[in-house]
Amino acid sequence: MTPFGAAIWVKLRVAAHTIASVRHQSRLKVGVVSVAASLLWIGALIAFCVGLRWLQNFGLDPSGAGLNLGKLLMGSLLSVLMLALFLMLTFSNVLIAFSTFYRTRDMAYLMQSPLPVQSLFIARFVECVSFSSWASAYLGSPLILAYGLVTGASPMLYLAAALVFVPFVTIPAALGSMATMLLVRVFPMFKKWVFVAIGGCAVLAVFFYLRGKLMAGQDASQGMLSLVFDATTKTQSPFLPSHWAAHGILTAAAGRYTESIFDLMLLLANALFFSWVAMQLAARVFFPGWSALKGLDRQRVKPLDKGLLGKTDKLLAALPNPARVLIVKDIKLFWRDPTQWSQFLIFFGIMAVYIANLRNRSAMLDAEAYRTFIVSLNLGACSLITATLTSRFVYPLVSLEGQRFWLLGLAPLTFRQLIWQKYWLCVATTATFSMAIVTLSCIILRMEPLASFLSLYSIALVNLGLAGMSVGLGSLYPNFNEDNPARIVSGMGGTLNFLLSIGYIAAVVAGQTFMLQWKRLVGPGASMPYWWTFAGVVGFTAVLTAAATFIPMRLGLRNLEQMEF
Amino acid sequence: MIETKDLSKRFGTKTAVDRLNLRIEAGEFFCFLGPNGAGKTTTIKLLTGLLKPTSGEAVIGGHDIQREHVAAKQLLGYIPDMPFLYEKLTGREFMRFVAGLYQVPEEIASIRTGELLDLFEIRDVGDQLIEDYSHGMRQKLSFASCFLHDPKVVVVDEPWVGLDPKNIRFVKNFLREKTRDGVTIFMSTHSLSVIEETADRIGIIHNGRLLHTGSLSEIKALSRNPGSLEDVFLELTNGEAVS
Repeated sequence: MTPFGAAIWVKLRVAAHTIASVRHQSRLKVGVVSVAASLLWIGALIAFCVGLRWLQNFGLDPSGAGLNLGKLLMGSLLSVLMLALFLMLTFSNVLIAFSTFYRTRDMAYLMQSPLPVQSLFIARFVECVSFSSWASAYLGSPLILAYGLVTGASPMLYLAAALVFVPFVTIPAALGSMATMLLVRVFPMFKKWVFVAIGGCAVLAVFFYLRGKLMAGQDASQGMLSLVFDATTKTQSPFLPSHWAAHGILTAAAGRYTESIFDLMLLLANALFFSWVAMQLAARVFFPGWSALKGLDRQRVKPLDKGLLGKTDKLLAALPNPARVLIVKDIKLFWRDPTQWSQFLIFFGIMAVYIANLRNRSAMLDAEAYRTFIVSLNLGACSLITATLTSRFVYPLVSLEGQRFWLLGLAPLTFRQLIWQKYWLCVATTATFSMAIVTLSCIILRMEPLASFLSLYSIALVNLGLAGMSVGLGSLYPNFNEDNPARIVSGMGGTLNFLLSIGYIAAVVAGQTFMLQWKRLVGPGASMPYWWTFAGVVGFTAVLTAAATFIPMRLGLRNLEQMEF
Repeated sequence: MIETKDLSKRFGTKTAVDRLNLRIEAGEFFCFLGPNGAGKTTTIKLLTGLLKPTSGEAVIGGHDIQREHVAAKQLLGYIPDMPFLYEKLTGREFMRFVAGLYQVPEEIASIRTGELLDLFEIRDVGDQLIEDYSHGMRQKLSFASCFLHDPKVVVVDEPWVGLDPKNIRFVKNFLREKTRDGVTIFMSTHSLSVIEETADRIGIIHNGRLLHTGSLSEIKALSRNPGSLEDVFLELTNGEAVS
């Protein structure tokens, strides 16, 4: 076996052993994850079918008369979605490439082996492509299927989608890998203040860009259609790989095979070309970057009790130990890992900018039905962001104690104290952001007190429930062998947590939406049935939250207490 | 201070520790010796409460480590062979964290932290992130944090990895000194010369069973052809015929 073959073979064996280890996992976990993943896929298929069918008839009145804009929009939609996917894949590949190329523990071992850097790069590049593309396949497949079903497309649509998939995901992987290698090569050359300046400029640029876009949208009520067409036209540039993919799929469905094959060849040629360029770049910059990263000046001094972070001990002085030191430790570990909090800020920052701009759409928001609908959407969006955060950052907290569990296992504290400390820390952190955003949303939309109460009540409980699920399931299915939170989250337990979180949010938001839309759906408010239903929704949300909190926390605690380290 | 009664641990069909009966007094330096896979680390994990015994019990300072684990762990200190610490904390922050876990009063913790960082010669790097420490520095921090809460029983698992000769000498003397203060040391190591220099009593474990316990001279006397501890150890564990 060649060294390159060995590098690939070992990863395949590890993957095979990981898959085989599923049979040693709890049947309940495997069963729930399989069923939940299937339901999510089916749910996405139904949602896409409904959405596409609505779009297909856009502009037509119930009798079928009018200007049918659906066909035009349908064609553009795939390009828009493909471009969004392409950008997301490029961005995620920058992060994945960094952890796969530079942070994996076995890299040092492989670097000393007689393996050319190009071969090493390809071995890791394949890993990047497969790691970043499975989610695209999972969520993209119901979209393509829905598109085919709604338009009654020929089977060639599915064949073309399958053929363009690999070259399409390879291009962003190559671009992301190149960006990572260049950043790693260039960044160690700069001083710290240069990073801060670049980061600050980037954040300001994004802020003003978003603000400009949102301000421009204030006339949306007058020219929604022209805005949509303007946006979709920009996504159909013939220079974009997303356009080649979308066009290739659509032309295959329409029987224009020559055009479709041309698009496929264009994608394939570019995928190979960018992979080749990335490989050449790896030959020149990968080792110097890796070496520079390892040889960074590691003299980071953090004097005790200095700076805001150093003062957390004093700020939390009212709390008893060991809870206080556990909280301070978690805060410091979180803050000192910028890959964690930067995503946190991005999510809530975008949400805050969006809500702050709601006032610009005042013409639309005069109608109460629109306002209540937007409040529900905001609650859903905030809850989903919170779920993303709890799934991404809170779920792995117990696993990340990992090889340090000997320290906690030896300490004179109980696991009950440990997991409830993590629970309350999570609630305090996420509630600060999510409740502020929902409060802002209610004020700007001039919501009635009762509707505001319902929104705040829902988001407060969502924080409690999501924290309970993430800490509880993180304790029930810990992975102490993995130091990379992204990989911990992508395991079976992490997937289960995310799926259950979404289900829980859907139930809470549905209850609130029903109450807020009562007048439209049922009739006048402030009647006896209204109040009974209101009490029912409030009670149902409380009971559901209690279950989402206490059941996983109890199961997680029991698991930790029975666990051996 | 340490007592085990018929302590056993099975992993599936394999018996890692088989009816271990030990009694180690306060202030005693007990060294635990055995070939790879003999059951040393499993015994240590049972003593420290990181594993649950299949049967039997381990008692630390009169407290069962499973039933009264909080009281038992308050008396216990542990130094692992691979000290996995919180990389994103500084050495001083880590010491404060450990002091909080063991509820050492802040004034006392602050004084002891300074003393221990000095003693283990890591005061200069006390404000640096642990991820920037060398293996030896981490090991020294692990030692320093272990003694922060003034444990009465210290369990040490092959602590020499990463330490230079000067520090090995220092740690040996430090642990010896601690036994004079009444601290019980239970140390697992393959370093026979260290055992010869430090141990009050030696226990030899093989295939999960405690073969013999006794002082160095008593252990050496077990051999048909008394020689070095290495020869005796190999003979007792069937590693090699003694010449």
